[in-house]
Amino acid sequence: MQKISRRLLVISMGMALLLPLTREAQAHAILLESTPEIGGSAQAGPSAVHLRYNSRIDRVRSRLILTRPDKSTEVLPILNEGSDDVLNSHIDLTPGEYSIRWQVLAVDGHITRGDIPFTVEAR
Amino acid sequence: MDVNLLVDLFGYLSIIVHGCTIVAQSMTIGGALFLFILALPMASKIGPQVAITTARMAAWAAFALVVCEAATVALQASVLMATVDLSLLDALGATSAEAGLVKIGAGLVLSALLFAYGTAAPRVPVLLLALVVLVAATMTTHAAARLDDQGVLLAASFLHQLGAAIWIGGIPAFVSALGTVHDRTGWLAVGARFSRMSMAGVACIVVSAAAFTFYYIAAPDALYGTAYGVMAMAKVAMFVMLLALGYGNFRAVERLKSGSDVAVPRMKRFAEIEIGIGFSIFFAAASLTSVPPSVDLVTDRVTWHEVVERNAPVWPRMVSPQHDVLALPALQAKLDAEAAAQHADHADHAFVPGAGFLPVRNAADIAWSEFNHHWAGVFVTLIGLLALLNQGGVRWARHWPLVFMGLAVFLFLRSDPEVWPMGDEGFFESLRDIEVLQHRFFVFLTMAFALFEWRVRLGGWNNTWAPKVFPLLTAIGGAALLTHSHAISNVKDALLIELTHTPLALFAIASGWARWLEIRSEGRLSRVAGWLWPVFFLAVGLILLDYREA
Repeated sequence: MQKISRRLLVISMGMALLLPLTREAQAHAILLESTPEIGGSAQAGPSAVHLRYNSRIDRVRSRLILTRPDKSTEVLPILNEGSDDVLNSHIDLTPGEYSIRWQVLAVDGHITRGDIPFTVEAR
Repeated sequence: MDVNLLVDLFGYLSIIVHGCTIVAQSMTIGGALFLFILALPMASKIGPQVAITTARMAAWAAFALVVCEAATVALQASVLMATVDLSLLDALGATSAEAGLVKIGAGLVLSALLFAYGTAAPRVPVLLLALVVLVAATMTTHAAARLDDQGVLLAASFLHQLGAAIWIGGIPAFVSALGTVHDRTGWLAVGARFSRMSMAGVACIVVSAAAFTFYYIAAPDALYGTAYGVMAMAKVAMFVMLLALGYGNFRAVERLKSGSDVAVPRMKRFAEIEIGIGFSIFFAAASLTSVPPSVDLVTDRVTWHEVVERNAPVWPRMVSPQHDVLALPALQAKLDAEAAAQHADHADHAFVPGAGFLPVRNAADIAWSEFNHHWAGVFVTLIGLLALLNQGGVRWARHWPLVFMGLAVFLFLRSDPEVWPMGDEGFFESLRDIEVLQHRFFVFLTMAFALFEWRVRLGGWNNTWAPKVFPLLTAIGGAALLTHSHAISNVKDALLIELTHTPLALFAIASGWARWLEIRSEGRLSRVAGWLWPVFFLAVGLILLDYREA
């Protein structure tokens, strides 16, 4: 994120810019709450995944990817349930460090993504 | 192509394309309204040429709208196909893509009608198609994805775009009309009618902006505490500039009524600047659509105390930290040492451009960045001072564009320490990082236009376009800075940095257009503008000198 400051350096002279180039944060849809929480912990075994956003989400055109402790990845099924602003799924977990990368399409056409790192502890 | 890189590319390309889309959309609708409300009904007073030109402009704008919208849909569909494994048909089934396709269809027919029939294009179908474009555009605004108060927000979004189209979208046709007619009766007719149209447009904008403030911003602290609020404030600042110029034109029309046409050249120049500032607002608006409304950000807002604390003047940082203590070089050295210990063929890279992850960063990186900004501030302040001296008659100070060359070299060396020539990353390899690519591009442009303006200052270039390069690039640069000024959503430090971006951008825009006014006008107005633009430049330099990241 702080790299924008160096971008500022180049741009700030108000010169020589033809394109408003930027590493866009794709921050349009924001994650309001999640289970598991960002940086939180979960119990080993079957677990529900729940993500809630600030805007209506196109579920069919969104994706959840789980990264397991061994760095292998798995696309999580998005369940067709809940209100328009939530994504639900389920996973089976063993102890270790995990991460869920989410990418959502808001109904107004903005694609946003983010990560939810979390730790799974033995029961 | 790497999927993460693709999403990054989509993120910033979509803002650029969206800005172009708003410009084209507003010129299409504004042009059509100008044609049917002003040019055709007043043809007996102003002649047929104004309508002919307006119809052609609207036709081209509609065609540009089709191209921009097609690019938007194609970008979005390609990202969805690559990242969510959708078929083309499924990707095009998204609500926003469907709205885009409707816009493309309506724009195509609109363009064809105006090209084929010109001023004889049927009024009702053209206006209905313009309405379809507006409704479809409304379906890709924040309002379309809201969970609450959606009806009133959709109505406000519609009204906002309509107002922008009537006023700002109509200004290019207005400028063209002022240049086409050559007598007081014609100027008065065009000026008075467009003045009333503009007032209607302003009313639409004010009413809808009030609704946005109530529903999207909600609290005064969100104005400086969130990216949405800061960008909205920047739009308001430019809106006020436009109103001031519009008031100048209103006064010119009043003078025309009293029999004097001395203010007509000023009216033309002001209208030209209105186009520039108006389009800057459009790019800011495009950027605004990519951040969440303030009301959704309930944590990590910047407080007034933090704003004051961060911007309290401190002595600029004139000494740089060593390159090897920066986070990436330090991490790379560690990885190299580990690889050597394990007798590996090659070490991992500390940072892989385009992999979708932001590089690590430590206190030395912050110091490095502040040092860069402060020295850039020295360069820019020097440019402003020399330009002022030159304005005051000091002949040798006309070489001030050469200072830009020094700045460009400085930026080339310092802006990306992880990249060649300072870092380990190869030149071509690093261009996969969008930001590095952008930096290199800007350095190249800086060199080119510094040489260009220097040549202009030395004299001997008698063409009329050469002196316009500098003000145009300065103003476009300011607008560009505004569009990217909120690359991060809800991180306090990032927003505090953004709070510095906004005045920089506004001063750059003001400086560029003041210089434009100096070139394009005569007499007192030109002289005043000639003193103003270096002062604005100086302000940019001083803000940079006080820039801090911690």
